[in-house]
Amino acid sequence: MSRQVVNQGKNTQVSRRSFIKGCTMAAAALGLSDTMVPKLVEAATSAQRPPVVWLHFQECTGCTESLLRASHPDIGRLILDIISLDYHETVMAPSGYQAEKSLTDALEKYEGKFICVVEGAIPTKDGGIYCKIGDRTAMEILADVGPKAAAVIAIGTCAAFGGIQAADPNPTGAVGVSKLLKGTPIINIPGCPPNPICFLGTVLHYLTFKRLPRTDQLGRPLFAYGRKNHDQCERRAHFDEGRFVEQFGDDAHRQGYCLYKVGCKGPQTYANCPVARFNDVDVWPVSAGHGCVGCTEPDFWDTMTPFYERLPGVTIPGGGAGIVDAATSKGKIILGAAAGAVGLHAAAGIGKKIFGNKSEE
Amino acid sequence: MQYERHQAWSVLLRLFHWSFVLSIVVLVTTGLYIHFPWTNTMVIGISAFPVATMRYIHFIAGFVFTAALLVRLYLLIFGNKQERFWDFLPITPRNIRNLFRTLGRYLYLNVRHEHRLGHNALAGIAYLVTFLVAAVQVASGFFMLYPESVFWQKWGVLFFASQQQGRGIHYLIMWYFFIFAAIHIYIVVWNDIFSKNGIISAIFSGGKFIHEDY
Ligand code: HEM
Ligand code: SF4
Repeated sequence: MSRQVVNQGKNTQVSRRSFIKGCTMAAAALGLSDTMVPKLVEAATSAQRPPVVWLHFQECTGCTESLLRASHPDIGRLILDIISLDYHETVMAPSGYQAEKSLTDALEKYEGKFICVVEGAIPTKDGGIYCKIGDRTAMEILADVGPKAAAVIAIGTCAAFGGIQAADPNPTGAVGVSKLLKGTPIINIPGCPPNPICFLGTVLHYLTFKRLPRTDQLGRPLFAYGRKNHDQCERRAHFDEGRFVEQFGDDAHRQGYCLYKVGCKGPQTYANCPVARFNDVDVWPVSAGHGCVGCTEPDFWDTMTPFYERLPGVTIPGGGAGIVDAATSKGKIILGAAAGAVGLHAAAGIGKKIFGNKSEE
Repeated sequence: MQYERHQAWSVLLRLFHWSFVLSIVVLVTTGLYIHFPWTNTMVIGISAFPVATMRYIHFIAGFVFTAALLVRLYLLIFGNKQERFWDFLPITPRNIRNLFRTLGRYLYLNVRHEHRLGHNALAGIAYLVTFLVAAVQVASGFFMLYPESVFWQKWGVLFFASQQQGRGIHYLIMWYFFIFAAIHIYIVVWNDIFSKNGIISAIFSGGKFIHEDY
């Protein structure tokens, strides 16, 4: 916050020093040697800045926020400096008709050349009516913009895999971009939110080498998602030596031991958090004493919860009503059925007695 | 009643059986420890590596388990008559009849005991299921063991969707082996008592005793 205030009134251009610093950080994240840094700088300063159209669908804007408003204004501004943002609902000046016009203009002018960044999931149920912008559904907008782009970057777990709105029972039928868009190269930068360095690295890679970086099975760039957090974690020695936090706030927790037993999902999560770290102060959840929740993995809201247990728990029987209440309501049916059966039996017996006797007479 | 000793199981099959048993015992023990590392090293500076060591043993036993499974796969096709899959799966009239007889016998319905040198058809089904479950266990195990391998990632993501789900399934399957072992041992002892073929000693010596008019 204070940083934001301090920055006000300053020149919003990135200084050459922080520009090169940002490029060097991206080169490090990409696993390139420092001899490549000048090439990245050259690509980033070349006259043609790639036009970018940034689409927002079902999302919380957290990805944009973390990119632009966090404590690393240099990287945020570096990104804005490198790319030419032609359409971005959060940061663009025009609104309403003007905003929509800038989108159609950009599509016309840069067809086949621009990068499309998608933030947020796309609802597909009931014709996709659960997310509309300018009277068009997210599905329509993506089907219009996606095929015209040179490449699509799905930023955040929502755009990549559906995210929280796709969590069970997924009421709006939300899906990630790659489920709907075929034919255009797509790269996924999942995370909730993802590290801006991963986005910057991907863009710089694209500018420098004219192609998207290599990805894994799930479309995530290998430079950032090629290794598990657990295999790069600073607390790994505690894991191997069997020193575990048993409970938050216990002695072991204060000592900074491994968070495996309180549900850390580092062993199941591909990301570069322990290496790239966040917010200029070099933190990531584990360094702050909280286990990894696995936010870069598909369906993490369903498969990584409960967050404080290692493996998904067994659902409590009773369908959410609690076992006593559920048993009570089932018990009423059971007792009712038993009473009914007794009643029927008794009625039949009495009937037999009455009518049977009659017929005997 | 005259019983005759016949060779039922080859040396390779018995080797498979006992390496499978041993590896499962080790895998379950170390696996439970990996699931819940109950020791807690509270001292820093002593060179104890309990978790690393347990994982190391688990992985080596995992390779033994995998090798045993591959040997059994080979024997299913190229083993002796009793070891091949069509001898014990209910895919022939003889084996389908045997399946119902075995069920009847286990329900104490006084069905006449069919002397067989190999597995009965009910055991055959149980072993097929175990074989497939073991294959899933191997697949999820290697998916976790080599998280950065392109090959294992490709198949792992296809089958299990993510490391987390692969791990969950790996853990659940452990309980299958507990249940299997309990039933398996019970049935084997039961047969040893009621069938008089000496099936327990057969898995050591390879020979079974079969009624002469078999
Ligand atoms: C009967 C067979 C097996 C049983 C019962 C078994 C059991 C287990 C259990 C209970 C866990 C802990 C899961 C958790 O709660 O996180 C585990 C982990 C693991 N198992 Fe197995 N396992 C078996 C076979 C294998 C095989 C064949 C392999 C392949 C080499 C293997 C490799 C692994 C790996 C890599 C881990 C994760 C360890 C870690 O990274 O911390 N397992 N196993
Ligand atoms: S804190 Fe998490 S990621 Fe780090 S070593 Fe422990 S389990 Fe692995």
